[in-house]
Amino acid sequence: MNTSTWLIRREFWENRAIWVIPAVFGALLILAALFGQVSIPKLTASPAEMHEAAGAFQVIIGVMFYAVMAVYATWYLLDCLYADRRDRSILFWKSLPISDVRTVLIKLLVGMILIPLVYFAAADATALIGAFILSIRARASLGSALWQADAWWDIQLLWVYSIATTAIWYLPIAGWLMLVSAWAKRAVMLWSVLPPLVAYIFERVFFGTHVIGHTLTRRLMGLPLVAFNNAKHVWTQGSSGVDNGSLAIRAWDLINPSGFFTSAETWIGAAVGIVLIVGAIQLRMRRSEI
Amino acid sequence: MAPLIEAKDLTKKYGAHVALDRANLNVEAGRIVGLIGPNGAGKTSALRAILGLTNYEGQLTVLGREPFRDRTALMNECCFIADVAVLPSWLRVDQAIDFVAGVHPRFRRDRAHGFLAKTQITGKRRMRELSKGMKTQVHLALTMAIDAKLLVLDEPTLGLDILARRAFYDALVNDYMDETRTILITTHQVEEVENLLTDIIFIDRGRIVLDTSLEDVATRFSAVAVRADRLDAARAEKPFYERHILGKMVLYFENADAGKLAAFGDLHTPSVSDLFVAKLSGGAA
Repeated sequence: MNTSTWLIRREFWENRAIWVIPAVFGALLILAALFGQVSIPKLTASPAEMHEAAGAFQVIIGVMFYAVMAVYATWYLLDCLYADRRDRSILFWKSLPISDVRTVLIKLLVGMILIPLVYFAAADATALIGAFILSIRARASLGSALWQADAWWDIQLLWVYSIATTAIWYLPIAGWLMLVSAWAKRAVMLWSVLPPLVAYIFERVFFGTHVIGHTLTRRLMGLPLVAFNNAKHVWTQGSSGVDNGSLAIRAWDLINPSGFFTSAETWIGAAVGIVLIVGAIQLRMRRSEI
Repeated sequence: MAPLIEAKDLTKKYGAHVALDRANLNVEAGRIVGLIGPNGAGKTSALRAILGLTNYEGQLTVLGREPFRDRTALMNECCFIADVAVLPSWLRVDQAIDFVAGVHPRFRRDRAHGFLAKTQITGKRRMRELSKGMKTQVHLALTMAIDAKLLVLDEPTLGLDILARRAFYDALVNDYMDETRTILITTHQVEEVENLLTDIIFIDRGRIVLDTSLEDVATRFSAVAVRADRLDAARAEKPFYERHILGKMVLYFENADAGKLAAFGDLHTPSVSDLFVAKLSGGAA
């Protein structure tokens, strides 16, 4: 194994929450599937409705895992360069032949790609086990509805696409969190929020404008608007454009890769993110006091 | 042969505070060097600069490299223990060994296990479960298992009891030290290390006050317990420090004629700790 692999293992040793939280969350959902009330709205289901039910089931589980992941990954990135300065173990890590560039980039990789992948796997396992339990508990029609192979493939595609677009879109946020993590002597949470908040208020009071506020809100909330297809008919009719009374839709119609990857907003944000990460690396190298 | 560590006009400022003020020092290969100074003298700043942990002004080469620019490469041949037990609390002993073995090309796993076998520490324990002394022992085992050309120890035995301290220094001299290695060590407990040092560097207020080998100390410095009636005559030889103990005046001389001094009273070579006190108190006068 090479140095990077060891650094990744190290992150998983230190932050056992990376897999404990999704495991516990998944276990709770499975418990709910085991003992919760199962209501079956439609007893006679058409193939399209079955597909819809399967898709909705998987999407709901996926969105819940994604939300928990977003909170945890934010915390991880904010803590990752601060934790070993707080307990002074940075002096031990720096006594080993590992460059600061590699250390910071591995932590970024863990926060933006590996943690989401763990949640992806946990969501898949939960959906599979949940569908199995529900199909035993509920009527056969629902049971077979949840075992739709193409719905499963759709969800895999949505996860991979979401992880990739999230990593690029939120790079400036991740860079900012890591910069604060490498810089702050204490109260990283406060320092991550305070400067943008002060800048926002300052701009509002002295210039009466909202550029900073709008930019930040757009960055925090805008991913679904940029990365996904928002034409209303896609959500109600599918790509065929024919309203057949079904909500059956395919993942391919939902995602908007050509829009996302050609948007200037995407790449301007990524460039800002890279600058902030370079800053975090420089601080990691130079900050001689702990 | 070029010195292992060579610093010329090494300067480190923190804002207006000057931690290192144009310090010059040389460390040759195969030596055990004590870097000795009071708190706030610049010891830690000097070590941080040597280890590439901080930027600095002036010239500094360690093992032929610029430490700050080349820290990663330098750490292949050099290792260090900072002044407090700094192993992270979540780390298990066996994980620590696996990790260092994985990232350090000169780490020898059998040596680390050998050191730990002499202690009560088992592999599954986490650092947070270990006492401060045990943590230090793990850290020392990890560090001493690395085949490094330069070992830097900053207050290595802080928090260890007297038995563990003695065992550590014995292991350092008997098992670790050989002619291919160099050790740079800082400590407050000068008495504890003075028997194993080959060289001493005194540092005070960011400046190097003395940089010499112990052989040279014997020829360069003398202390004389002066008889009361010869005090004025002895003072005429310009001692750099006087000390009043147990009713006797002890005068310290540098580069003085030993034959002449012997006439004033009991002549001896000062110990490192006495010399340290004399040099730093005397220098201020």
